[in-house]
Amino acid sequence: MTKLNIHHIARIEGHGNVAVEVKNGRLTKVQMQAIEPARFFEAMVKGRTIDEVPIIVSRICGICSPNHTVTSIQALEDAIGLSVSRRTEQLRYLLVYGSYLCNHASHLYLLSGPDFLGLPSVFPLAETAPEVVSRALSLKKLGNDVITAVGGRPVHPVSAVVGGFTDEPSRNHLRRLAARLRAAVREAAATVELFASFDIPEYEPEHEMLALKSEGTYAITRGEVAALRAGWTRPARDYHEFIHETPVASGNAKFSQTDGAPFMAAAIARVNINWAELTPSARVAAAGAGLRAVVRNPFLNNLCQAIEMVDACERCAALCEELAESDGDSKPRDWTVAKAAGGAGATEAPRGTLYHSYRVSKAGKVTAGDVITPTAQNLACLEADLHAFAARITDADPEEFKLRIEQLVRAYDPCLSCAVH
Amino acid sequence: MTDANALNQASCPRVVVLSLASDFGCQIQITNFPELLAMVGTIDLSYWQLATSADMPDSYDVAVIEGAVTLDEHVRLLQQVRKTAGVVIAIGACAVTGGVPGLVGTGDLDTARDLVYGEDATIVKQHRLVPAPVSSVIEVDYRVPGCPIDPAEFSALLQQALLGARERLDRTPLCAACQTIENPCFWLRGKACLGLVTRTGCGALCLSRDRACTGCRGIAADANLESARRYLREGGFDVKAFDKALEVYNTYEVNEVARS
Repeated sequence: MTKLNIHHIARIEGHGNVAVEVKNGRLTKVQMQAIEPARFFEAMVKGRTIDEVPIIVSRICGICSPNHTVTSIQALEDAIGLSVSRRTEQLRYLLVYGSYLCNHASHLYLLSGPDFLGLPSVFPLAETAPEVVSRALSLKKLGNDVITAVGGRPVHPVSAVVGGFTDEPSRNHLRRLAARLRAAVREAAATVELFASFDIPEYEPEHEMLALKSEGTYAITRGEVAALRAGWTRPARDYHEFIHETPVASGNAKFSQTDGAPFMAAAIARVNINWAELTPSARVAAAGAGLRAVVRNPFLNNLCQAIEMVDACERCAALCEELAESDGDSKPRDWTVAKAAGGAGATEAPRGTLYHSYRVSKAGKVTAGDVITPTAQNLACLEADLHAFAARITDADPEEFKLRIEQLVRAYDPCLSCAVH
Repeated sequence: MTDANALNQASCPRVVVLSLASDFGCQIQITNFPELLAMVGTIDLSYWQLATSADMPDSYDVAVIEGAVTLDEHVRLLQQVRKTAGVVIAIGACAVTGGVPGLVGTGDLDTARDLVYGEDATIVKQHRLVPAPVSSVIEVDYRVPGCPIDPAEFSALLQQALLGARERLDRTPLCAACQTIENPCFWLRGKACLGLVTRTGCGALCLSRDRACTGCRGIAADANLESARRYLREGGFDVKAFDKALEVYNTYEVNEVARS
C-alpha cells in the first residue's frame, strides 16, 4: 500500500492536507483535509451590534475581506429593510470587483504559476523573467489601489458601512484610476496568453456549477443564483434551501452539496454562466485562448481567472469614469431597527459565491449569523476531482503525482481560512 | 564551515514566516509591499508557506508569527520556535492581543463549537485553548500591532530587529495624534470611539475615513481605563457599551484584568 500525505500544502491560503492511499494500484482513499483551526465566527457575532458585525466577519479572510464586508452589510440591510443609493451600489461593485485584480494576480503569479514553470516559488522569476514579475506586481498593486481608493486600505476596508460609505474617492482620483485600469487591459490580456500557453491535463468532469446572474452585467454584488446544468435560477436569499452544508470528520470545514451532489462555485462557474456578459476585450482574450463555453476542466479555472482580470479592468474603468462624471451620494443612510427579523446577502468573491445571513433583535443586536464561503462549497467537489484525477495518474512517479495533486488543489484556489472560519 | 560561509550567513539572516489562527491578512499585507521583496537579497526568506513550497528549515534566525494561539499544537510550535530563533516578531492583532479570534473567549468554547458545528459533531479534534496572544506562551522580542499590520511599519521594524535595536512600541493612546491631524472628534459628536484608550501609531487611518477607532492596535500602555470610564459616565455615555466594544480586539486583556 502506498500512502501520500501532503501536509500543509504550500502556496494556498490557510492550512490544508491531502491524504491519498493506493492499494494494489487502486486508489482507496482521497481526502482533502481543512486543518485550519476553527475560529467560530458564527458564535462570535451573537450579541454584537449591527455596526460591529461587518468589522468582525471581515476578519474571516484577509484576501477577500471586501467580499465579507459587503456581503455582511447587504445581509444586515436586508434584515432591517434598508435600501441604498445607486452610487453606493456602484462603489460596492467597484470595491469587490477591483479586489479580483489583486486576488487573481496573486493567485495566478505568486501561488499557482510557479507549478507550471517547475519552480518552488515566484522569487527565482525575479531574475529570469523580471517582466513577468513586474506585470504580476503592477496588476496586484492596481487592484489594491482600487480597494484602497474605495475602502481606505487594501485589507479590511474601513469606509463601507451599513447604509453607504463614510468616505469616497475624489472625482480626480477616480479619473486617474480609470486611465490606469484602461491601460492594464493589455497586461491582463497578456496574463490570459501566458496561462493559455501552459499544458494542462485533459480532464472534463460533469459537475454542477453555481454563480450569481444578473441581466445586463457581470454579476458580482447582486443577482440571483443560477445553476449551469440544472438550469434553475433562484433568489440568493433562499440559499439555505439549495445549498446544504454538513460537517465532515476529516477536517474543520463543512462540505456542501446542491441537488444532492457536489458543485463548483468559482471563476470557471461565473465565466460559463455569464459568458454573454463578458466585456469585448475579455471575449477577445477568451477566443484567443481557445476557450469555448461550456468550460468543464477545473484546471482551466486559472485561465478563467485571467479572463476575469481583463473583464474587471475594462468594466471597473468604465465604472470609475461613470462615478467621476455622475452626481449622487453614497453617504450612509440613517436606519433604525423596527422589528426582529432575518436577512441574507450574496456576492461573488474571487473564489466563488459568498453567502451571509443574520437575525437581528429589535434592540439592534445580531442574534444569529451564518456564513457559507466559496471554498466551503468547493471542497466536496475538489475532493471528488482529486479522487477521479488521482485514479488516472496512479502510475506516475511519486514526485510527479504529488505535483499534479497539488496543482489541482491550487487550480481551485482554495482559501481554507475562509472555508473553516 | 569556511569563514566566508559564516560571514555570508551572518550578513544574510534566515527568516521564517509562520501563521497560527488568523485570516492571513497580515501576510497578504506583506505581499502588498513590493519594497519588502527588495529585501529578499538581504535576508534569506527560507520559509514562507504562503509563497513557496520549500520545507521549513531546522535552523533560522528570525521567526515572524501571525495569528492567535488557539491549539495545543500552536503552543508546542511556539516553544520550538523560541528555542531556535534569536528573534521572535509577533505581527498583527491576532498575535499581539489575541485579536478578533479572541472574541470567542467572551463565552464558552464548547458552546461556540456546538453552535457552529452541531452538538453531536466530533470534527474539531484538536485540543482548543481560549485564544491568546503569542506573548502569553513565549517571550516576544518585537510586536507589530494592528488589524491588518501596516506593511511599511513591519518592514521598518524588521530592519531594526536585524540591526538589534530595542522594541519601541508606542505607549500613548491614539486620541492625541488624531487631534493633531484635526479629525473631528467622535465623542464630541456623541458617538463612541476607542481611540481614547487604543495604542497610537496607525496615523488615525480609520478616523480619517470618518470611522471611529475599533481598538485593533490594542490597549495602550499609558491608557487609563478607569479615568476613561469616569469621563464617559460623566458625559452621559454608555460605559457598558464601551467595555463591550473593547472586546472586539482585546477580549484576552479584558479577561486578564478581570482575573487579576
